[in-house]
Amino acid sequence: MSGVVVTGWSALTSAGVGVDALAKRLALAEAGQVEKGHEIGDLYEEPMPAANGHFLPSFSPREHLGRKGTSTFDRATGLAVVCCQEALREAGVSLDDEVRPRIGVVLGTSLGSFKSTSDYTRETLVQDKPYLVNPMLFPNTVMNCAAGQVAIRFGLRGANTTIAGGTLGFLNVLRYAGNAIERGHVDVVVAGAVEEFTPHRAWATRLTGATDVVAAGEAAGMFVLAKENTPEWAGTRQRAGVLAVATAYGPGGGEAAETALAGCVHRVLAKAGVEASEVSTVYTGEVEDGDEREFGPIVRVLGHRPDRVMVKRLFGECDAASGAVALGVLLAEDRDARPGGLSLLTARGADGAVGAAIVRRYADGGLDRG
Amino acid sequence: MARVVVTGVGPVSSIGIGIAAFAEALRTGRSGISPITSFDPAGFPHRNAGEVQTFDPGAQLRRVDPAEWGRSSQFAAGAARLALADARLDLTSVAPGRAHAIMGTTSGESAVAEALTAQIIDGGFAAQDPALLTQLPANRLANAVSEELGLSGESLTIATACSASNYAIGYAYDLLAGGEADVVFAGGADSVCRWAHAGFFRLGALAKDACTPFDKDRAGIITGEGGAVLTLETYDHARKRGATVYAELLGYGVNCDAIHPVTPDAPTVAECMRIAHRNSGIAPSDVDYICAHGTGTQVNDLVESKAVIEVFGERPPPISSIKSMLGHTMGAACGFGAIASTVAIDRGFLPPTVNWTTADPELGVDPVPNAARAANVRVVQNDGFAFGGNNAIVMLGAPE
Repeated sequence: MSGVVVTGWSALTSAGVGVDALAKRLALAEAGQVEKGHEIGDLYEEPMPAANGHFLPSFSPREHLGRKGTSTFDRATGLAVVCCQEALREAGVSLDDEVRPRIGVVLGTSLGSFKSTSDYTRETLVQDKPYLVNPMLFPNTVMNCAAGQVAIRFGLRGANTTIAGGTLGFLNVLRYAGNAIERGHVDVVVAGAVEEFTPHRAWATRLTGATDVVAAGEAAGMFVLAKENTPEWAGTRQRAGVLAVATAYGPGGGEAAETALAGCVHRVLAKAGVEASEVSTVYTGEVEDGDEREFGPIVRVLGHRPDRVMVKRLFGECDAASGAVALGVLLAEDRDARPGGLSLLTARGADGAVGAAIVRRYADGGLDRG
Repeated sequence: MARVVVTGVGPVSSIGIGIAAFAEALRTGRSGISPITSFDPAGFPHRNAGEVQTFDPGAQLRRVDPAEWGRSSQFAAGAARLALADARLDLTSVAPGRAHAIMGTTSGESAVAEALTAQIIDGGFAAQDPALLTQLPANRLANAVSEELGLSGESLTIATACSASNYAIGYAYDLLAGGEADVVFAGGADSVCRWAHAGFFRLGALAKDACTPFDKDRAGIITGEGGAVLTLETYDHARKRGATVYAELLGYGVNCDAIHPVTPDAPTVAECMRIAHRNSGIAPSDVDYICAHGTGTQVNDLVESKAVIEVFGERPPPISSIKSMLGHTMGAACGFGAIASTVAIDRGFLPPTVNWTTADPELGVDPVPNAARAANVRVVQNDGFAFGGNNAIVMLGAPE
């Protein structure tokens, strides 16, 4: 596998909208810090499971997109569309009708907007007549709503794929997007993941969470992916190379999942043609130093202990979007700017799903191909 | 590029479970529509759906415990179990990591989401059952297949609404053709739910008693459910183990309208057909039958027919809608379409569009009205369109 390059990207996190907000937040963070998140205050009428959460305060899609076409957006859709706009701009993609059919969208989620779905069902249960629902909001109950709105907003007419991957979501997206490019279905993919901060997700995180170290969070991360030799319209800089991605499943979880994860790490190293010793940093889904359910099998494959970055400690449990946040942190971080160094992104889900991607970050600002 | 073939099918449907019952139902034009029982339809003016009322997960599943998995995951796992048995494949002979599970869905574990919502209404958010919450994520559909069959390859759930299982079959094709897999179980699953029933009703897109695609008086969809999985293999893998090959998967095409969340766009749909033909190396004149998206709404059937005539000319191949029998099974719909296409090739007949009474002169297509038709079927186009403008078309052909 030849891999793909990132020509530009953006992220919406509890630090704010865009790359600069993320970088600033990282610059201020202390090693090992666990961030509590913002005070939720009166963001929602419903009772919340905690006083704090990792959300974007006073986020308004209209502020970034204008009024037109945004009135039906749920929070996840708004985050995704704004993030895509920022990513396309940051990459310098020149959109015209000739290239639009060659640009795809691949977006990861857990189940779309659980709030939109649940609120819709609620209406059928509490209204005088069960069918007194708002037809304009019906598309929001379907998981591909955000990806569809991204396509509409920017006229992106290539493969438009929503991946329901939960924790694995973003690695599933990188894998799927790489295939779509490699097989020529599209030349460019805007690939990312999104999750929204709502009472529904906050409570689901609390009630099912393996840990209460971090609260629920929301985020969107979108990355413009292309082949190395892609035309100039896709952006002229290369920020990073996604050299290889592998996902797998360990039936029954437990040891089978550890074996599957180790297998993924072996595979991405082999596919990328790199040595285990070159991997300097691993971005995992864990949140506590003592928890090595993911890191342990990786260390055993690598034969050394690289730095472990746990992005959920700063940005909350963002489920499918946590992987996208991790790639954003990898690209934004100042402290570890070792051009040419290799990083692993990994994930391990609640069932037996696992995955790994190997990423080479290029020199700050990227290789200028102009 | 490896050739890809269909060696097994697993339909868990309202018109039959397993290939024998499903094929017989297609041949006789059996309807799977009945009064709704999976939720209380009181207060809804329309109360029919295509529910799979005879599915017994306890009897069907060996490794997946129905107590721990939602209804859609059970459909997925049950369909995969059937697809494996139909392929007569010994999975221990497949190298670990070379067999994958790729599933499509529209609403994932919708019945679980509705049960949780009822708990929220009754007792607040804190009253939700954590065990039920663990069943909620949609990625569990593919994981249920991986668990049930003990697969350690990729486990991927694609959520591109009603074309999702064509997306899944397409990605499976790439994995097999590109040498990344020997076997892929691909398809989709969904469950009947209140919110979709209500939403389609309010869109004016829900028929009262029956779904009548391509009829002048067509009044919309009937919601349906089920699981549809195909066993896909590389031709070499199938040949070496002496498998029966039903059909060849020729290729696929996907694109996006990028215009409107729910209204389909005929030129983009036509372009998707051309992409699918190009990727499959066939010409429109090669196509013997189109397994329609054919939802039975005024707009879908008109747009689909227009696109067909744009691509195929004034005398397009016969195009029928199995949704007239199954209802709209959402994320499973293209999977059922792919199975029906496989049956059409293997058994030599075109499935009918049942409930058809009145020609619509605006459409200009032959919907194979009411009775199956004997035919030598060499190439089939299986259409799938969706909310979000997510078009996906899969091409199947007779094995050589």
